[in-house]
Amino acid sequence: MHISEGVLSGPVLISGMVLATTGAAIGLKKLDYDHIAKTGILSAAFFVASLIHIPIGPSNIHLLLNGIVGLLLGWTAFPAILVALTLQAIIFQFGGITTLGMNTIIMALPALICYYLFRPLIHKKPSISVPAAFACGFFSVLISALIVGVALIFTEENFLTISAMLIIAYLPVMIIEGIVTVFCLAFLKKVQPTMLPGSSTM
Amino acid sequence: MKRNCLIKDYILKGWIAGFIVFLMLFFFGTGLARAHKVNVFAWVEGDTVFIESKSSGGKQVKGGMITVSDLWGNQLLNGKTNNRGEFSFKIPKKTTLKIVLVSGMGHRGEWIIPVEEIEAVSVIETRESAQQETAENEPKSIMRSIPASKPCSDEIQLAVEKVLDKKLKPIMKLLAESREQGPTFHDILSGIGYIFGLVGLATYIHYRRKKD
Repeated sequence: MHISEGVLSGPVLISGMVLATTGAAIGLKKLDYDHIAKTGILSAAFFVASLIHIPIGPSNIHLLLNGIVGLLLGWTAFPAILVALTLQAIIFQFGGITTLGMNTIIMALPALICYYLFRPLIHKKPSISVPAAFACGFFSVLISALIVGVALIFTEENFLTISAMLIIAYLPVMIIEGIVTVFCLAFLKKVQPTMLPGSSTM
Repeated sequence: MKRNCLIKDYILKGWIAGFIVFLMLFFFGTGLARAHKVNVFAWVEGDTVFIESKSSGGKQVKGGMITVSDLWGNQLLNGKTNNRGEFSFKIPKKTTLKIVLVSGMGHRGEWIIPVEEIEAVSVIETRESAQQETAENEPKSIMRSIPASKPCSDEIQLAVEKVLDKKLKPIMKLLAESREQGPTFHDILSGIGYIFGLVGLATYIHYRRKKD
């Protein structure tokens, strides 16, 4: 879902940059330096995730992992995702430099939303936390697709058509992300529950 | 209790390392196909420009919007790629052409055809039409006699250029495809290295400040 250079109009790009910078600044302020390695690992995982492609029918789509990044990092997801996207843009030319702000919003805002929606639920009993984890992964990709539609709305594209197209195309990714999030969370709960947000030691 | 924590730590690190290794094997097994960029390449054959499109995963871009304009931004023509990601048009103007392809999901690629490529074509055309005119104007008496079978150098040049166009077409395709190299393994490693470098730097600065 990286938007390339030259597609979005100037005002959209600038507002994206402003929002992304604000989000990153808040995220950096809330950065927990005692657990900064966690931020680095998740940023690296996000960076690499776009390279995992899933061949679906005639096309290939890639994992996003912004659900799990958001759930584990909260506001710090903004700088983590911004750094990963910058490196992707520079090293692989995925997306662009001017669209960096907008692409960060597309990836990090759903991460933040899912953090606030699902964080209270993951410490509950498995019958609640498992669906919550799945929903977290699922909805983070869904909201990303919607934000892309909103961004493209200003370039004479029909919001409903674009969003519908993206959601249908990314439906397999949503399901797979949901499953990946469930497994990650189950694993972390067992082995390192301190990494989860809202746990007693944090 | 402490020993259990230590073992848990190692298990966790082992799992993370194992996961990263698994990811890397995944890449090598399946190849680094990506759906992030859209590539368009175009070449001139005769008086027609042929366009082919590919998304960075190697799939053609079907129904992509093509816009052809000159370097000053004047739009010359529009179109859509067909089911094979192709599009073609007759050269509208003798100027450097900028071909832009936009696919539905916010991906864009462009290709520029320099004016020299187009001028070479139009030179052939004027020569061809000039030859046709002189052939028509020749008096019939000359036509009756056995024509001088020695072809003039212009004809040879025309023939050579036509054959070259035909032969070069697959080579140009190959060249355009080889331009596009996906993310390599060491690109990925360098990206991850940067991230951890930043982590280290941030930690150092933060704890340095704390100390002071």
